Amino acid sequence: MNSIFSDAAFWHRLQFAFTITYHYLFPQLTMGLAWFIVWWKWRALRTGEEKYNQAARFWAKIFGLNFGVGVVTGIPMEFQFGTNWADFTRYSGGVIGQTLGMEGMFAFFLESAFVGALIWGEKRLGPRNHFLAAIAVATGSWLSSYFILVTNAFMQYPTGYSVAPDGSLGIASLSAYLLNPWALVQFAHNQTAAVVTGSFVVAALGAFYSLRGLHLAQTRLYLRGGTLVGLIASLIVAFPTGDQQAKMVGDHQPVTLAAMEGKFVGGDMAGVSVIGQPNVKERRLDNPIEVPGALSFLAYGTFQSYVHGLNEYPEDEWPDNIELLYYAFHLMITLGTIFILIMGYATFENWRGTLESNPWLLWVLMLAFPFPYIANTLGWMTTELGRQPWLIYGLFHTRDGYSKVVSNGDTIFTLIGFTGLYFILGLLFLYLVGREIGHGPDDGCAPGIGEEPAL
Amino acid sequence: MITTWYGIVSFMLITYVVLDGRNFGAGMLHWLVARTPEERRQVVAAIGPLWSWHEVWLVAFGGTVMAVFPRLLASSFAGYYLALFLILWCLILRGMALEVGGHINDRLWQGFWDFVFVVSSFLLAILFGAAGGNLARGVPLDAHGNFSMPFFTDFKVRGNVGLLDWYTVSIAIFATIMLAAHGATYLTLKTEGPVRDRSASYAKWLWALVAPLLIIISLETWIVRPDLSGNEIRNPVCWLGIVVIIVSSCVLASGLRNQHEMRAFIGSNLLIVGMLATGAATIFPVMLYSTLAPENSLTAYTVAASPDSLLLAAVWWPVAFIMSVSYFIFVSRHYHGKINVKRNNQSFY
Repeated sequence: MNSIFSDAAFWHRLQFAFTITYHYLFPQLTMGLAWFIVWWKWRALRTGEEKYNQAARFWAKIFGLNFGVGVVTGIPMEFQFGTNWADFTRYSGGVIGQTLGMEGMFAFFLESAFVGALIWGEKRLGPRNHFLAAIAVATGSWLSSYFILVTNAFMQYPTGYSVAPDGSLGIASLSAYLLNPWALVQFAHNQTAAVVTGSFVVAALGAFYSLRGLHLAQTRLYLRGGTLVGLIASLIVAFPTGDQQAKMVGDHQPVTLAAMEGKFVGGDMAGVSVIGQPNVKERRLDNPIEVPGALSFLAYGTFQSYVHGLNEYPEDEWPDNIELLYYAFHLMITLGTIFILIMGYATFENWRGTLESNPWLLWVLMLAFPFPYIANTLGWMTTELGRQPWLIYGLFHTRDGYSKVVSNGDTIFTLIGFTGLYFILGLLFLYLVGREIGHGPDDGCAPGIGEEPAL
Repeated sequence: MITTWYGIVSFMLITYVVLDGRNFGAGMLHWLVARTPEERRQVVAAIGPLWSWHEVWLVAFGGTVMAVFPRLLASSFAGYYLALFLILWCLILRGMALEVGGHINDRLWQGFWDFVFVVSSFLLAILFGAAGGNLARGVPLDAHGNFSMPFFTDFKVRGNVGLLDWYTVSIAIFATIMLAAHGATYLTLKTEGPVRDRSASYAKWLWALVAPLLIIISLETWIVRPDLSGNEIRNPVCWLGIVVIIVSSCVLASGLRNQHEMRAFIGSNLLIVGMLATGAATIFPVMLYSTLAPENSLTAYTVAASPDSLLLAAVWWPVAFIMSVSYFIFVSRHYHGKINVKRNNQSFY
């Protein structure tokens, strides 16, 4: 029987893709937001002004809800290496297990010890320790990200490993593995992208309250912080981090770069297509509008550089969905450019002191917040689709990695289960965040001793 | 090195069971010891803000096993596919109940999340108990170190076994009762007023039930795996574990009798540590026993990662461990003492 149900690798991939994409909606906000909270706690400590404490307290509640969903949706990720990708674990667990173990031991213990104290323990801990708790949670979340990105970087560009007699991988050099150049670039790019999400959300809520004429003192804080940080982060996401990331792909995965850009034929003076649709069947880009030489320049530094085309590689080394990869990559770049324009204009208006009297711009800021989530997701789609057909680039194919003992029905069943459970979780999350936003930042003071629920 | 790592991952799993086990226990007894909404919030507050720190022990255990015993993780997680997803979903539900249950001060809302909390705690205790039974009994591993098994087959313990049989069910029941007793002992320590009094009486009779059941499951284990008794006699760690079981039982009994709450709680923790450590030492070096043919069993030596991987992990693990314990101490000293009924009144959320 040959139906979609018989393609085991597809269902394992879909389940992992779905659960990781959903999961990452939450950490990308908390990683950005964490440093906003640290900053406000710091200002409150230095100036003694209550408005900074109010801001930190309000955002800590939003943070807490995101963190909670992030934790519960994160646990299945780690388990799936064993349940769904057993052969991958058997092959490379000695290497990637190192960073997954470190993530638990160094990052999760740090975050989980302090997150309850951050959200509910302001009075119990006192101002100084509470500030330290904010730093601890922010540091923990970024550490966790680093370990995961090292794991991913190993799958993109393996370093520091050795091959055992039975063919499985072991670690040869911890420093070569942990300081993988790919991981450093990816970390810089990914973390600034998380700050973009955080700052767009902060600015959007500022715009939301401002348009309704509520909590005006707080609103100013959110708009000012959100737009300025948003501009800086949007710029860094593009240059130097995004640029470096693309060069990394060009150096180590040239076939991926060709697919991302829809370059079916290699050549000098390769252009970047602003618009175009890959037509894999005909091996060409339909209706392209290109900037000549731009790709050569971006990937290799000169307009004349030679850019490899897909025609130079055997088809079984091509990423297995070139169209989706191409769209994900191009849409990410388009959105990134729009973010710079929006935040640049908003920062300018804010500097002139006219941001809050510009309803059009406030509307744009309010409605823009979903797009960084989309851009982050598209970036990860580019990374992961671009790596195909490899699970570990050049070493291990995706189709060899899944658990052979698990029947397709079981995988489909758990995928449906996750879909249902995460749908309910999403509704619950939106309802509770909506409630906090409705309450707003002004009411109440720090939760007292014994008033905290068990988070 | 492999023995050391076997010890470390056993330690991590045991720590998880001891820490989160009390939360499962508190969850199972939630409706019984707490009757009013205020009392229910008291139980949830007793679990405290560090429950996610407890849960991290399970996650860190998974990551560490992947680093040092990758083939064990691959075989067992894929083999237990559906059962593990049930555990994951219950952990998600339990986590949500603890986190959002207190967000809205409404009877219906809190009643619903209390229900989720109780049911998921029960299921988790049963599932982890059954998993423990499976580790002792073994699974139908083939010559390639793979297995997949149904939830149950003929309820017999040899050959083509299922997840549930008479032995694993009895271990699950035992684990459920023991974790409930452990949770009751913890609630006695952490609460005041009627919740404390009810918890104290539950603790007494639940522990009284555990004692004969422990003897029964020991005999059952001897019937299911007669080969283990030789291991047990030869391994000094088993003798140490048995000493811990005896001493902690006395500490627990004296604590319960004299209403010395802290002593009882220490005894309760040590008793569980003693039992699980004895179990882990007894099955060593086999990590997953094959019910089809003993030579298919996965031992610590056959599933371990390369010597370099083990050595490098031994460099960072102790550092991380010391750091994690220090955060725990830093935060938990802000949360010592009893949870008061009055303090946790309606204004609480």
